[in-house]
Amino acid sequence: MTATAERARPGVLRIGRVVALPVHRGYLLAALAVVVLLLGASVATLTLGRLGIPLGELPGALVGGAEGSDAFVLERLRGPRLVVAIGTGAALGLSGALFQSVTRNPLGSPDVIGLGAGAGAGAAVFALLLPGTLPVWLGALAGAALAMGLVYFATGTGFRNPGRLIVAGLGVAAMAFAFTEYVVYVMERDRASVLMAYVNGSLSARDWDHAATIWLVLAVVVPLAALLGRRLDASEMGDELAAGLGADPTRTRVFAVTLSVVLSAGAVSVAGPIAFVALTAPQIARRLTGGTGAHQALAALVGALLLVLADLAAQQAPWSDGLPVGIYTMAIGGVYLGYLLVREWRRGRL
Amino acid sequence: MTTTLAKPRPSGADASRVGTARRVYALLIGIAVLALAVLASVMFGSRSTSFGDVLDVWSGDADPYLTTVVESRYPRTALGVLAGVCLAVGGTLMQGITRNPLADPGLLGINAGAAAAVVSATAFLGVSGQAATVWWALPGALIAGLLVYVIGAAGADSGVVRLVLAGAVVSAVLTALVQAIALSHPDAFDSYRYWVVGALGGRDFDVFRSVLPFALIGFTLALLLGPGLNALALGDESASSLGANPMVLRSAGLVAATLLSAAATAAVGPIAFVGLAVPHVVRALVGVDFRMQIAYAAIVGPALLLLADVVGRVVVRPQELMVGVVTAFVGAPVLLFAVRRMRGSA
Repeated sequence: MTATAERARPGVLRIGRVVALPVHRGYLLAALAVVVLLLGASVATLTLGRLGIPLGELPGALVGGAEGSDAFVLERLRGPRLVVAIGTGAALGLSGALFQSVTRNPLGSPDVIGLGAGAGAGAAVFALLLPGTLPVWLGALAGAALAMGLVYFATGTGFRNPGRLIVAGLGVAAMAFAFTEYVVYVMERDRASVLMAYVNGSLSARDWDHAATIWLVLAVVVPLAALLGRRLDASEMGDELAAGLGADPTRTRVFAVTLSVVLSAGAVSVAGPIAFVALTAPQIARRLTGGTGAHQALAALVGALLLVLADLAAQQAPWSDGLPVGIYTMAIGGVYLGYLLVREWRRGRL
Repeated sequence: MTTTLAKPRPSGADASRVGTARRVYALLIGIAVLALAVLASVMFGSRSTSFGDVLDVWSGDADPYLTTVVESRYPRTALGVLAGVCLAVGGTLMQGITRNPLADPGLLGINAGAAAAVVSATAFLGVSGQAATVWWALPGALIAGLLVYVIGAAGADSGVVRLVLAGAVVSAVLTALVQAIALSHPDAFDSYRYWVVGALGGRDFDVFRSVLPFALIGFTLALLLGPGLNALALGDESASSLGANPMVLRSAGLVAATLLSAAATAAVGPIAFVGLAVPHVVRALVGVDFRMQIAYAAIVGPALLLLADVVGRVVVRPQELMVGVVTAFVGAPVLLFAVRRMRGSA
């Protein structure tokens, strides 16, 4: 944060009088690179493998000339799945970025404080114990909301104190996991195994309804997050300074955490609780831009890229037969988490 | 780790004078509760038996059916005592060494390591049954602990924080592996889901005998380390000047904690919150002396675990709730209330 004065003055992107985003050239380059990678991964998702659309036919198929099996692959199999993956990854990345800004905790994300575990427990209830009363995704959403509510009230200070947030999240997650494990234990194997796949977060067999859901959530939340961006930057500098700049820190915080939870909940409702994307995407975004600034948009792009890559692995890895994408994000994210934690420790911040 | 100001602590003489009577009471009450817990564990089950029935069985007057019912509860009671001691003492060591009140043996990657071994053995070698899986879970847990230790201790000066972080990383990667194997091998999924809830039932004395040596070595080591850990609690410099080697002490303590937790996890599966909660209870009872903490943890731990198991057997009769589920639902609310008393932001 000390280096901001020395940095070149950013250009400013203005939309009317309410939005004014500072834009660095490095930031634009990073965003462009991520977009190019995302496009590459998307093309790979559509073209690779036994059912892939041959690269030469892809432009024609996308413009509307898909026929036969290509049309089926594009419109039913991989098209919606890819669109859901991009939307969900973006939602998770933005969710994590908002959450980490507000809590000033680089390890924070809604799934760390029990949202994913709660969603799993909710899904377990409505998939296995009370089948048919509610759709599974709605059950997951309810479980996630309940878990967040518990964490909120257990801390006694709402979402304000990161230490309390994480400990309370630990407790809530432990209960939710124990519950899910119990339900999985008492069910017969086939049904339990389907639930396990869901609990890990899966993108298989998504259709355009899922895509519409997550993009609708993004369409509502992204403008609000953009409006919030400057206030968040102010609040990262500390509450007193933020208040001095005219941004009420408490309201900013509550608003941002709410947006973050809504985004994560939207992601949960279409893909189940996918681990670690919300945690790692903002971290990578920060590394790419080299510090503070409005990295939320970049975090969303990185999140989309991470999830599309993980899903590409899930679809094409030679050793696996349709493992849920959440397992790949967990493995990759686990390694990255280690790197991150050790780095923090070296800097003496832990 | 940043330097922190040493907190003023009561001098040793004061603490011991204040504590003696209280310690004796706590000891007597603890032993009484443990005895009651053992008795309850033998008495309660899906078929209820009275105290008189149990006495009949012990004196040899009962009919064979009743004898079988009561005797079928011996292995799980023995396992409950063993796992309770292991988890509680392991947790006490971990919290003492890391000086982190949230430390728990699971942090060392032990649960994930044992799970990975159980799942792999079932998927690739066709191992099944609790007595057989224990011989996989045990080395799995120990190897994961060792791996965490090697990664965590690598580098210039090996702090405890780094060790805990290594534990988180190893756990995440192993968990991904476990899920991947479990979802692609139905048999492995079965053994995983039965194992991961953490239960005392369905195991026989073979399981108990398999893990007993490891538990004994770990417990003996813990007792031997007591005085050294007291020195360590004063800070590394003070410990060195008292003739203790902080590095050796920490390593030995972690080895003991790993052995104890691995024994418990291999025998009964991962059980939440016993290793986390008991050290807090014990510190409240006997203060900072590690020798006392370890001894009392060995009484409070099994009492807590057996009572949780009895509760699990009674609440949803004739089914039963596994002890791992009960401890999570009892321990987590305690944690949630404790959160409100936390100060600071770390």
